[in-house]
Amino acid sequence: MVGMSILRTAAAFTARINPLKRTCQSSNLLSRTVARSEQVVVRHGSHGKRMFIIKPTDFYDRRFLHLLKYYILLTGIPVAALVTFVNIFIGESELAEIPEGYEPEHWEYYKHPITRWIARNFYDSPVKDYEKMMAVIQVEAEKAEMRQLQLDVRRHMREKGDGPWFQIQTLDKNLIDHSPKSSPDN
Amino acid sequence: MPEDHDKDAYPEPPSRTPVVDRQSALPDPTLILSKLFYYSVDLPVTTFRDIVEGIQSGRKSSYYHQKFRRVPELTQCREGDYVCYYEAEMQWRRDYKVDQEIVKVIQERLRACQQREGPSYRQNCYKELQQFEQVSKAFQSRYGDLGAYASSRKCLMKQKERMMAEQQKA
Repeated sequence: MVGMSILRTAAAFTARINPLKRTCQSSNLLSRTVARSEQVVVRHGSHGKRMFIIKPTDFYDRRFLHLLKYYILLTGIPVAALVTFVNIFIGESELAEIPEGYEPEHWEYYKHPITRWIARNFYDSPVKDYEKMMAVIQVEAEKAEMRQLQLDVRRHMREKGDGPWFQIQTLDKNLIDHSPKSSPDN
Repeated sequence: MPEDHDKDAYPEPPSRTPVVDRQSALPDPTLILSKLFYYSVDLPVTTFRDIVEGIQSGRKSSYYHQKFRRVPELTQCREGDYVCYYEAEMQWRRDYKVDQEIVKVIQERLRACQQREGPSYRQNCYKELQQFEQVSKAFQSRYGDLGAYASSRKCLMKQKERMMAEQQKA
């Protein structure tokens, strides 16, 4: 019996406090009175009590996130719009067989229009890169061969002495003064 | 649209005509779900695709598959001919990539076969299994442990080791 009355009061109390169904204002929560219906209904998240919430500043965090979003979207939105319009209005290329006697340009080997544009305007053709590399290799090979030859020739001429290098010039024999040699025991 | 897949390599199971034999008065949930999927996903996507294809209808350009000429291999180059070495090396690298893709295709076929057959795949996909085993053994013996800095010279040396091992066995 006492439990029933306690339960009834508890049920009435929770029905009064219930935020989904509350019609009473803050002042008469704990009393058993019911609010008059002409009163204005105001709902506070703080159960009616006005709060001054003290928390650390979030100014810098919000400013950072705002600036981050701003600078990312500043170029992000134009790039996204560009890529969307290229994909919708220009569209990707289709794979086709190479026609007879036709040499495709180097950008015609790519599918997406933006890749093709970059390959056409900025990149050299891979054939050109290949040929440049082969030219560099040939020049370096010739240099290496010439250097090796020079070293061999040096060795030969130093050993055998029959070439123009490693010749030490001696004086002309007409300049020799033979006069002291005619009287040796002077 | 790109061409469809090879129907012989990925055979589809024979279709069964649906004989509807409903014995309950409740609505068919599979039908409801399929209609829901159709109207919420399939129809908008298809109409969008058709609109976009209508916009792009006249202006299709084409892209081609690059064909490379065959050049003399490393064994056919004179010694010290570094240009020949370079061309042979590039050709070997292209062939290496092609072989990697071949192995991937065979793997994909085996995977599809296993998915199709379910628990009895060892018996039903015997052909794909044999093909995969043969191809992967060949790839392993030719390009197996060459590593990240693989080159045609290293591959040639590996071939030489293989031939020496075979000769020693015989």
